[in-house]
Amino acid sequence: MCGIAGIVYKDKKMHNIGNDMTNMLNALQHRGPDSAGFALYGGLGLPDGEYILNIQIDDDNQISDVKNIIQNNSSIAQEEKIPSVDDTIIYRCHVNLDNFKQLKPLITKVDQIDDVIVLNGSHSFEMIKDVGSVLEIANRYDTRSVKGTHAIGHTRFSTESAIDRFHAHPFQTYISEDVTVVHNGQITNYWNIRDPLERKGHIFETFNDTECLVHYIADKLISNYTLEEALEGAVEDMDGPFSFIIGTPNGIGIAKDKLGLRPGVIAENDEKFAIASEEVSLRQVIDTHNVEQISPGEVRVYEI
Amino acid sequence: MSEKTITIDVSKLTPRQTNTKIRYAIDHENVEKIVLENPNAMHYLVNGVIGESQVIIDGSAGYFAGSMVDKLQILIKGNAGWFVGDNMTEGEIIVEGSAGDGAGQGIYGGTVVVKKGVGARTGEIMKNGTIIIGGNSGFMTGIFMMGGKIIILGDVGEDLAESIVNGEIYVLGKIESLGKNAFQMKAKDEDIKELKTILNKYDFNLSNEDYKNFKKIIPQSKRPFFHKKD
Repeated sequence: MCGIAGIVYKDKKMHNIGNDMTNMLNALQHRGPDSAGFALYGGLGLPDGEYILNIQIDDDNQISDVKNIIQNNSSIAQEEKIPSVDDTIIYRCHVNLDNFKQLKPLITKVDQIDDVIVLNGSHSFEMIKDVGSVLEIANRYDTRSVKGTHAIGHTRFSTESAIDRFHAHPFQTYISEDVTVVHNGQITNYWNIRDPLERKGHIFETFNDTECLVHYIADKLISNYTLEEALEGAVEDMDGPFSFIIGTPNGIGIAKDKLGLRPGVIAENDEKFAIASEEVSLRQVIDTHNVEQISPGEVRVYEI
Repeated sequence: MSEKTITIDVSKLTPRQTNTKIRYAIDHENVEKIVLENPNAMHYLVNGVIGESQVIIDGSAGYFAGSMVDKLQILIKGNAGWFVGDNMTEGEIIVEGSAGDGAGQGIYGGTVVVKKGVGARTGEIMKNGTIIIGGNSGFMTGIFMMGGKIIILGDVGEDLAESIVNGEIYVLGKIESLGKNAFQMKAKDEDIKELKTILNKYDFNLSNEDYKNFKKIIPQSKRPFFHKKD
């Protein structure tokens, strides 16, 4: 059934967003045991043109192949290796590019190395996602130490594609910079949404329905729709039961299907605005019983 | 003789362990009042329990709180998640806060009271009993309702009483739209008298003017899914 969560600090200042999201997702662990993921915004502070790549590799020998490709196209500012629970390693590096449009072509080149998968590339958010429980992942990647302004997160109960790191949420797109999604539900007219986007040049990496959501929203955003308008469009155009949260560099937004078949609740105080599948998650970050149900077909956005 | 009371800290228990302890306390220890501490919105609290005891959930409950209970008096001091009171047969559930979708879904009897608002599909396929909502109720309230009574003191969303077969719904606030087979009329004097008795019992203090504004929704036909034979 999946669990989704989002939080925004209203003052735009740095807060322990990684710790908050870890606690929110841990409270939703029962909704999805397969994998978990975080998109933690606002804390990276990267200079213009610098992007983080998280790359899954099988062994150390592939790092030189990856670095050769990157250095033929840009420069590497920082690098590190993160050991994984399986036989793979996460190679993480900072690359310098002239602009955002160079990011996807670089990722495509690195992806062409056998058994190498680029998990994500980002400028304003930290993407952490892996198989296993929330607390295992939190310890592996030290999510609790990440600071930022806002975040979205997910616990996955897999229903329609592989259980692996690549298919864990959040999903992102390289059509619009740093747009991510976490999703609870199914998009039953998936191909009706995907086909026209592919004809417009969107490149899909998976057959997961969540991926088409982030492409749909990003497509609207680059067409100068506001996030609220893009989400309203999704409610009209998507079929099936769903509630999903979009993360952007400016905030978060949630949309819920017209029949209200997937849950979503909101709470806020002077300091924070939070969304989650269940109240138990909200109560990790806001101590209130003043919880609002999101109505069928409703869209809510909080931007800072 | 003083009331026999126990307190159960559910923070380190599963829902199954919690419900087993409640059943044992009622069936074998004649406990009259059970307080559940630290519920932290746990799902399936107080499920499948029969007895005339009182259970107090000292905080918020998750999904299916008070599902399939009989004769219990349950007080939830926080909010309740989806499907509070699902399929209860007799007794009373009072939620001091708000509740999610499907409040009182499929109840056969008893009373579900939510002091604040609720989500969508309140009272879906309920067969009998009473549901009282102190605030607003969402989309498709009373869908496929087969009997009993729903009282909403706030506004209701679209498609109220969609495909209602039997029973009655009273709404004090605004009705967004009626569903198929729903018929709206003004509440009669005898209806208002009954509403006063019910609402006063649960400390909803309305003025006489308020009572005059209740709308009553009943089915147009008791067989909405069958066409007339030629």
